[in-house]
Amino acid sequence: MTCTLGEVKNRADFIIYWGGNPAECHPRHFTKYTIMQKGKFVPNRKARTMVLVDIRETPSAKASDIFLQITPGKDFEVITTLRALVKGQRVNLDLVAETGLTIEQLQDLVDRMKKARFGVLFFGMGLSMTRGKHMNSAAVLALAAEMNAFTKFVAMPMRGHGNVTGADVVLRYTTGYPFGINMCRGYPRFNPGEFSTVDLLVRGDNDAALILGADPGATMPQPGIDHLARIPTIVLDPKVTHTSRLSRVHITTAATGISAPGTVYRMDEIPLPLRPPLKSPYPSDEEVIRRIHQAVAKRPGWRPTLNGKAMR
Amino acid sequence: MSLNVVKNATCTFCGCVCDDIELHADDERIVETKRACSLGESWFKNHTAERLYPDALIDGKPATVDEAVEAAADYLYQANMPLVYGLSNVTCEAQREAVSLAETIGGVIDSHTSL
Ligand code: SF4
Repeated sequence: MTCTLGEVKNRADFIIYWGGNPAECHPRHFTKYTIMQKGKFVPNRKARTMVLVDIRETPSAKASDIFLQITPGKDFEVITTLRALVKGQRVNLDLVAETGLTIEQLQDLVDRMKKARFGVLFFGMGLSMTRGKHMNSAAVLALAAEMNAFTKFVAMPMRGHGNVTGADVVLRYTTGYPFGINMCRGYPRFNPGEFSTVDLLVRGDNDAALILGADPGATMPQPGIDHLARIPTIVLDPKVTHTSRLSRVHITTAATGISAPGTVYRMDEIPLPLRPPLKSPYPSDEEVIRRIHQAVAKRPGWRPTLNGKAMR
Repeated sequence: MSLNVVKNATCTFCGCVCDDIELHADDERIVETKRACSLGESWFKNHTAERLYPDALIDGKPATVDEAVEAAADYLYQANMPLVYGLSNVTCEAQREAVSLAETIGGVIDSHTSL
């Protein structure tokens, strides 16, 4: 259950940020979409309550009304306890104590959530990338869904830099799946953990790689980087990156939004046009991929083989 | 020198994708970024339209884009299980081209989301 940031701006009177540090990572989130905005139905800052849930006190805590510091790795337990309290079920106080919060704090949070006219829960990498991973995200989404028995409540992921949201959307509408899609058999198959990049590279499954709009040479686990260096890797990037240095082919492209036009998606899945102010001496990623595709298409079609002979 | 002013430009540095930025640019670089936050400002000022890098590199040596495209096509064509990965700092138009390329070469396509 989600909504646009415009709705948040105009309606949300109760805002939770969980496992994120918008003050430093999404600097204009407060001012453009949430607490610092005058909304149609929320006249000022006083009309909104902001709760920050995190494992340490970040600069975002200063902007919050309530800061809840939880024990690292206990997000799932906190969410599950909240879900129980929302339904008025009994909870185990010993387990609550392990989360770093008291039952009073959690009960207070639930009461406030229920009293809200429009609640929104933004969750960041601090939730989805720690112990529990996608189970945490699933739990948060379930909490938001269950809250709708009492009031309007939505959950929205705080997506990172660039156009990651666009990648999800485009992959979804072209293949039916959001990421990690295998088309080796000619049709899309989806299985995270099997066809996700880190797993593929660490296992050494791929025998060539095309990297664009990312620098895994700086962010992947080392065995994955080693494998990228072993196989022919092709990099498209406006700069010569870490990955370019271990690649066979690097092509310099225009920088997205600065010298390359196009569309990108905001974190709430609203597509926005780019207005690049500069003209790049380099071609855009779009153009280079299209040219590679044309060059591949000129070669004879691919056929499955059995014992070296083409199958019919 | 006259500046090229772009109103309502879009910043793609973080997921906020602010589309209310006013950019002032000369021929090569962006000199003013009104309403952008400090992250957005350094993002815009960090990229210029100068020729800082060779058009393409093959095995670390400068090459033309045509040669690099052919070399890339060769590698991808010959591979049994090529990977197309990244997609975060590119436009949706480029992402669509990447999906269609991945389909033709029979590969895996994946984004940052899977990390
Ligand atoms: S201006 Fe700042 S908050 Fe807005 S998209 Fe750019 S980096 Fe994010």
